[in-house]
Amino acid sequence: MMRMRAAFAALVLLAAPEAAQAHVVIEGMSGFSGGLLHPLLVPAHILALLGGGLMAGCQSRRDGIALIAIFAGSLGVASGLVATAYAAQEPGLVLLAATAIAGLGAAYGRPLPLPASAIVVGLVAIALLLDSVPAVPSRAETMLALSGTALTAIALFAFVTMLSVAARPGWPRTGIRIAGSWCAASALLVLVAQLAR
Amino acid sequence: MRRLTLATALLLLAPAAAFAHAGEGIAGGFVGGFLHPLLGPDHVAAMVAVGLWGAFLGAPAIVLLPVIFPLVMACGGILGILGVPLPGVEIGIALSAAVLGLMVALAARPPLWVAALIVGTFAIFHGYAHGAEFPDGADAVAFFAGFVIATGLLHLCGIAFGLLASWPNGRIAVRLAGSAIAAAGIVFLVQLA
Repeated sequence: MMRMRAAFAALVLLAAPEAAQAHVVIEGMSGFSGGLLHPLLVPAHILALLGGGLMAGCQSRRDGIALIAIFAGSLGVASGLVATAYAAQEPGLVLLAATAIAGLGAAYGRPLPLPASAIVVGLVAIALLLDSVPAVPSRAETMLALSGTALTAIALFAFVTMLSVAARPGWPRTGIRIAGSWCAASALLVLVAQLAR
Repeated sequence: MRRLTLATALLLLAPAAAFAHAGEGIAGGFVGGFLHPLLGPDHVAAMVAVGLWGAFLGAPAIVLLPVIFPLVMACGGILGILGVPLPGVEIGIALSAAVLGLMVALAARPPLWVAALIVGTFAIFHGYAHGAEFPDGADAVAFFAGFVIATGLLHLCGIAFGLLASWPNGRIAVRLAGSAIAAAGIVFLVQLA
């Protein structure tokens, strides 16, 4: 009887469809370390950081640094929202839309007015963090994971921005424009695919 | 023996282990998207021709065409995802290889807006085909990033080869490559007829 129950339980577990996981989960990786890895494991987040960083890198060096600070500040604002138990509706879609705009800005290849690029970068940062909220019951654990996510996001964004700022005119600048158009095209297609599903 | 039978039955019931479709998950989605343009000879021929023509036309076309093409292609992809009817997609793709190859073979130098219009029109057909064939189980970001990157790399291959046009013998080689692509495009068209 016991063996039958165990077999039945195994059957139910194996036949059950896997839970729909929007994000990659690595066993044993949770809390701060899980948060640190999160932006590196979610393709939409990598795309957003790349698109945002490329657009920020098309500005002057001074504006590029200002945009890194705005990105970090916006992550802080988003953390504050999460701390107050704010639950965003579809932050992933907002992130894709912001990524598409940022990619278009990079494809344009010329400096944009600082307020315009600041809004896009701020939107990328806030949507990215709200889309990274882990499904854990403890608020302390949530904030720990998000602090890891924020650290990785700032590091990646700053790296891409400073690399783009340092790019010389000619082929390196053309490469940034081409990569920007790839980001924008991918984000637009994914956005429509997700809305259509 | 009964245990073995039960274990086999349980394994067969396991849904996670049964990947009926290629291209599931992030890695599968990226590989599926990346290979999508590469496995279609008509796509490959047309994308390389875009790069060749861009290099042949020189600045600013060499910069603008690889930047504009993915964006216009995305518009075509959106039509494909939404299922908006677009007649003659396969003919449009085959025609793109024939026309773009011919432009390179003839060393055509139309005004930039005309070149952008020709390339942009064909980009809609290519994007539509990719968007319409987006597999359900694939990771959307990985799939679309894969196919956009593969398309862009084909352009860059064309540009790299097209830069040979700076030398007289290289110019002949590039025009010959254009002729070969145009001939392939005509073959694709005949196959569709």
